[in-house]
Amino acid sequence: MSNHEQAALVRQSLKRRYRKERRFRFYGILAIAIALAALVTLFADIIGKGYTGFIKTTMTLEVRFDPKTMYLEDATDKDAFSMADFKAPLLAALHDVVPEAGDSDDRDLGHLLSSYAANKVRDTLEADPSLLGKTQTMTFLVSDDVSVYVKHADDPNYSIQLSEKQQGWVDQLQERGIIQNSFNDVFFQNGDSRDPGHAGVLGAIVGSVLTMVVTLLLSFPIGVAAAIYLEEFAPQNKFTDFIEVNINNLAAVPSIIFGLLGLAVFINLFGLPRSVPLVGGLVLTLMTLPTIIISSRAAIKSVPPSIREAAEGIGASKMQVVLHHVLPLALPGMLTGSIIGMAQALGETAPLLLIGMVAFIVDVPSGFVDAATVLPVQIFLWAGSPELAFIERASAAIMVLLTFLIGMNALAIWLRRRLERRW
Amino acid sequence: MNTMNSAIDQDVPVKDEPETRGGATFNDAELEGRTVGKPFADDPKFTLRDVEVFYGDARAIKGISLDIAKNEVIAFIGPSGCGKSTFLRCLNRMNDSIDICRVKGQLQLDGEDIYDAKRDVVELRARVGMVFQKPNPFPKSIYDNVAYGPRIHGLANRKSDLDDIVERSLRGAGLWNEVKDRLDSPGTGLSGGQQQRLCIARAIAVSPEVVLMDEPCSALDPIATARIEELIAELSQSYTIIIVTHSMQQAARVSDRTAYFHLGHLVEVNETNKVFTAPQHELTESYITGRFG
Amino acid sequence: MKNDEDVYGDHISHQFNEDLAGLKEDFLRMGGMVEQQVVDAIDALIEGDGHRADEIRARDKQVDQLELEIDEEATRIIARRQPAARDLRLVLSVIKMVADLERIGDEAKKIAKFALSLSEEGKAPRGYVETRHIGNHVSQMLRDSLDAFARLDSELALRIMKEDKRVDEEYQAATRTLVTFMMEDPRNITRCMSVMWVLRALERVGDHSCNIAEHVIFMAKGEDVRHTPMEEAEKVVSN
Repeated sequence: MSNHEQAALVRQSLKRRYRKERRFRFYGILAIAIALAALVTLFADIIGKGYTGFIKTTMTLEVRFDPKTMYLEDATDKDAFSMADFKAPLLAALHDVVPEAGDSDDRDLGHLLSSYAANKVRDTLEADPSLLGKTQTMTFLVSDDVSVYVKHADDPNYSIQLSEKQQGWVDQLQERGIIQNSFNDVFFQNGDSRDPGHAGVLGAIVGSVLTMVVTLLLSFPIGVAAAIYLEEFAPQNKFTDFIEVNINNLAAVPSIIFGLLGLAVFINLFGLPRSVPLVGGLVLTLMTLPTIIISSRAAIKSVPPSIREAAEGIGASKMQVVLHHVLPLALPGMLTGSIIGMAQALGETAPLLLIGMVAFIVDVPSGFVDAATVLPVQIFLWAGSPELAFIERASAAIMVLLTFLIGMNALAIWLRRRLERRW
Repeated sequence: MNTMNSAIDQDVPVKDEPETRGGATFNDAELEGRTVGKPFADDPKFTLRDVEVFYGDARAIKGISLDIAKNEVIAFIGPSGCGKSTFLRCLNRMNDSIDICRVKGQLQLDGEDIYDAKRDVVELRARVGMVFQKPNPFPKSIYDNVAYGPRIHGLANRKSDLDDIVERSLRGAGLWNEVKDRLDSPGTGLSGGQQQRLCIARAIAVSPEVVLMDEPCSALDPIATARIEELIAELSQSYTIIIVTHSMQQAARVSDRTAYFHLGHLVEVNETNKVFTAPQHELTESYITGRFG
Repeated sequence: MKNDEDVYGDHISHQFNEDLAGLKEDFLRMGGMVEQQVVDAIDALIEGDGHRADEIRARDKQVDQLELEIDEEATRIIARRQPAARDLRLVLSVIKMVADLERIGDEAKKIAKFALSLSEEGKAPRGYVETRHIGNHVSQMLRDSLDAFARLDSELALRIMKEDKRVDEEYQAATRTLVTFMMEDPRNITRCMSVMWVLRALERVGDHSCNIAEHVIFMAKGEDVRHTPMEEAEKVVSN
């Protein structure tokens, strides 16, 4: 074959190769585009549904603490106080702002405000009895139905529960600036509640943080120690092989099994209380350990043997080699592995359901043995709840959870960049 | 457990068939215990008799007897897989970390057994330092690299003592003038040749009696190699140096005696001049004249 | 040590084999040329052939040229191949032996010069038998030394070293005879002196052949036997 012919053949095959290459690149880009589209859709959906969860609708009223309508002469008298009518001043104030409503509309009018509004009047007066007989400007959350109407009047997914008359009042109050939307600080200040307007994620966040603290404090030291022992000190025999296989298998065990284990061991056997972050942390530790051990071992393995040899060559003992050289070099890898394991644990629901962290808990937990729930469980609870207003709460909570996860992943990347040194 | 160490990759005999192109082939019986030349010395630092090393069932070193004299430079040469690195690593028990590796025979440093059960390997390695094939400074500062050995062995109680040791070692390795203004910069930032000299400085910082060098120049360019060779000549005033090298010219340049290894046997040991002008064994001859690979 | 032909082959580098073979071949070619010069010079002297003597003197230029070429080749091998052991000994010895060959060539030229002058002045009355005898002896030595080199035959080389002693004795005897003759008849002194110089040159050829033989022993055994007693050399060869 002449050189010329050969060159022609090569040229032909080149064309074919380039076509193949272009096709391959196209498939790659297509795959990424599909993934991105799915991600964007997910985020758009969650944010679209959830952003209203960060908005609260309030009504500002001039409340006159009228001793006569409240049947309360002396605000310091405990018995009288408990018998007093705290709805009356609210109704009066509502009549003030909605003059066209007659006496027969009391019921419809009262329905505009959240059922907790009367509690707020009571609490205010209890805190300052001298207000009796005076007038005070107060802001109240509106009822769920009003809130849904204000935020989602045009959304066919939401059914409006207000009557035509009520809708007219609300429109009018909104125009006059008496009904307003503002940032939902309540969402971050409260625990769970039956009333969507008062339900918040603070309890779940604190519960998650407490659980994570327990998980981190237990799983990181145990995981790293186990990895170092297995990698550096353990003899190579059937027993260590067996342990290794089991650790790898544990990483693949469905998380709900860990929940069952936690229920059987920690609660039934050790008698620890249900629904507490301590037990949640213990269960999640079991679940995270294999991940941490595997990633830590990989990090230790990736330390170049030349560094080990160098240290051994000038007479460092095994312990010194590990502590002075292997561990510092493996630490970034161990930390990233651990943080990713923690992020997994943060998003875990199933095992926690089994140890009772699914209970309805209003109070923000104040310790490791207080009943608590965690973010993903809170989302699970709200998403399953019949009230429409909880759906936007669930989406908002998902956003909070995602923010935490992204934050943790960012921390992992930052730590790796920060600690990783070239050798 | 890191069972697969770089030493295994380099030096486990891959095949049992001697690969010779010219000349006759030799079997184990013809080579074992029949080292030609001058394997023994009057004033030995190391006394090694009938040394055997096994990797599992494979015999990597097959009965080697050799003396290494005080303050001599001895070069180990031989084709890949001939056991020269394995043998070198026996001398400061670097093979200990390999589970499947066993060492038999008599190995003595100044008349004391190296592999004695009571022998502290840390103390041994403080006396027998090692420089590796690839420059492997710790990812720490130049100062910390050199100071690491003295620190862990407790050789310096005060900062000023440590400073002295670091300066003396870096001067000894011919690196002081190049790095004295940047002792805090990372050792990994130096050039390859400088890194290797830093490793030599690190090894001599603990004042060893013997320095083992495992192909110290194989990753370096000719200029850096020449510097290291010059350094070896200087170091030989105060240290016994055992160097494994793939470069026959390097062995010819730096060593007083040359030992030729072949498939786990020590075939010939003699004065370097003698080995390179008139080797006595046919295998040595074939190897150094470039007749088999 | 092996004594077969191809001890300089078998390198991994094919080119190295060829370089060494070329060096050896060129050396043997030069040796053959020089040997022919010596034989021709003796013939020219004995036959009184002035024309042939002239040819010999012209051919010496070629010998010198070959010496330069071999030296250059050897230098190139050292610079490019860094030969060791056997190969190093070959190259080193060739460099030195080539000087010996060149000197032998010079001696042949010298003999040719005397052959020319004797052919013009008329034959010397005595000494031709001795010249023929010693001439045959040393040219055989030269041939043998080249053979020993070609075959790396240290035993043959040792025999050549011993032969040299005999050549020396023959030379002593021949000069004594000539001196006696010159004392008897002073008119022959000039022509007899020429023959004496020729004998002297032949003796030198023997010495140079002996040098070559010593180098062959060095090449084969790696021991330098120059300036050592004969017993020492014998021990080296028998090893």
